Amino acid sequence: MTEMNNEVTIALKGRIDSNNAAKVEEEIRTQLEGKNGASVCLNAADLQYISSAGLRVILRLKKNYPDLRISEVCSEVYEILDMTGFTEMMTVEKAYRVVSVEGCEEIGRGANGTIYRIDQDNVVKVYNNADALDDIRHERETAKLALILGIPTAISYDIVRVNDSYGSVFELLNASSFSKIISTQPEKLDWCIKEYVRMLKKIHSTEVPAGKLPDMKETVLSWAQFMKDWLPEEAGNKLVKLVEDVPHNDHMIHGDYHTKNLELQNDEVLLIDMDTLAVGDPIFELASMYNAFVGFSELDHSIIKEFQGFDWDTAQKFWHGALAEYLGTENKRKIKEVEDKARIIGYTRLIRRSIRRGGMDNEKERQKIEHWKKELLELLETTEKLTFHPNELELEADADNLEEVQAFVGEHLDAADCPPRARMQIDVAVEEIFINIVSYAYSPEKGNAVVRVEVSEDPVNVIITFLDHGIPYDPLKRDDPDVTLAADERPVGGLGIFIAKTVMDDVTYEYKDGQNILELKKNLK
Amino acid sequence: MLNITKTMDGSKAVYNLEGRLDTITAPDLEKSLGDELGGVKELVLDMEKLEYISSAGLRVLLSTQKVMAKQGEMKLIHVNDVVMEIFEVTGFTDILTIE
Repeated sequence: MTEMNNEVTIALKGRIDSNNAAKVEEEIRTQLEGKNGASVCLNAADLQYISSAGLRVILRLKKNYPDLRISEVCSEVYEILDMTGFTEMMTVEKAYRVVSVEGCEEIGRGANGTIYRIDQDNVVKVYNNADALDDIRHERETAKLALILGIPTAISYDIVRVNDSYGSVFELLNASSFSKIISTQPEKLDWCIKEYVRMLKKIHSTEVPAGKLPDMKETVLSWAQFMKDWLPEEAGNKLVKLVEDVPHNDHMIHGDYHTKNLELQNDEVLLIDMDTLAVGDPIFELASMYNAFVGFSELDHSIIKEFQGFDWDTAQKFWHGALAEYLGTENKRKIKEVEDKARIIGYTRLIRRSIRRGGMDNEKERQKIEHWKKELLELLETTEKLTFHPNELELEADADNLEEVQAFVGEHLDAADCPPRARMQIDVAVEEIFINIVSYAYSPEKGNAVVRVEVSEDPVNVIITFLDHGIPYDPLKRDDPDVTLAADERPVGGLGIFIAKTVMDDVTYEYKDGQNILELKKNLK
Repeated sequence: MLNITKTMDGSKAVYNLEGRLDTITAPDLEKSLGDELGGVKELVLDMEKLEYISSAGLRVLLSTQKVMAKQGEMKLIHVNDVVMEIFEVTGFTDILTIE
């Protein structure tokens, strides 16, 4: 008998049947004398067999000690307990099989453990933390939840002992991680980007019932608060405020979404390493992706190769390609805007991580921290919010930016399979409205305009909204030109807004919150 | 992008327009026409390869039409459907000679 944390453990040995049940019961009672109210654990590591007489002993014991659990049960005894319904009445923990990973291929590594392939069909994730049973249960729960919510993933079917740690075993038939595919088949990079982003979008569009997963915002907020001690006061406060201002979001994020955590099994893409699953704004996910492909190896490009198996240039190509695919645009300004927001959280995490690991006591780490801090302070100066809208572009209202605005709108129209005639009409309307803002909103000063493209399904409508902070001006109030006049009577000009009104199905204007808001709508059928 | 190719034949000028006639490119056409129109009695704008036109392009066409009405004639040829639609909604089909 041993006693720990108010739990009394009694070891059971050999066989318990009608011959010795009474004696065993007597012995247990003696050992538990004066321990009313304690939690009792029966350790069954050396128990080989139990008959119904033995089961009755356990039942009577359970009456007096409702928290009773049985641990390290071998599979023969487990089968008996399972058949007789005992596994549903009380906690019954199986004995752990011992597995060796010596000489096994390492196929993945995450924050909490390393994944090895132990044979053709199975992999084991070995946890760093020696006391990982809670982590393992947590990961199994989150994996189950993800699976139920429609995310293809592998769920562990067994817990094993690996050296002094625990491991969880998954079935993973002939699978290769995306990192391995990218390293060994570079021609598949674009395909990997597409599939990687398809899964990412699926994760981010998955709504999670309240309370099932931790809120990433809380975690990031704690990082930001930690940083207050290490940044100038104003910058520290701004960082905290930026995170606080991120609205609650109950959609799933993976939390450690890099290419070692995505597996291709036959033709199916599977997500693994589910222990970091959370809910939150996608920017939190992009921040951890930034660190995985850029941040961690920004100052030492060899790190990425060690971690992912592909080189720095490939990682940059992958990251920017994935970001463009995720945002649905090749627009460099847009990609940089979102990357910069991700970097704010990414650097915050890197600095905190390094400081907590004693980085300030080490010259090399201190240099890194200084570099990250400098970048972070620069970004904080120019950033007003961390969230982003993939379908919104903000730029200076300047005629030189016309082509960029049209290209940005065009990408979204192409994605919606807009017919060529409507595309051309929208193109013209966009030019007329944008040039109108360029000419009148801020003149002779300079200012920004925002263009937003939304495509609704059924009916397929495209709505393009222009916003500017210029002088309030409703261009729709102007009288339409008389298009029946002869050439020499017609004024040169005044046609732009009229064309926009004519080729679009609906054009509306309002002035709200200090902004001119002009909305163009067209039905694409 | 707008490519302008001109061919002069006595008092006849033919302009081939290729690409987009918009806010960015309309000033190029305006300048090109402004430099060359003196003495031209017949101006032909070949729009076979013109893919796009906005009000900025229409402005150049209208002001050129006004100049040419005084010294000869101007006509547009090979106008495609999308460009023609813009001409139609703005009444330009009635004030320009389009073949």
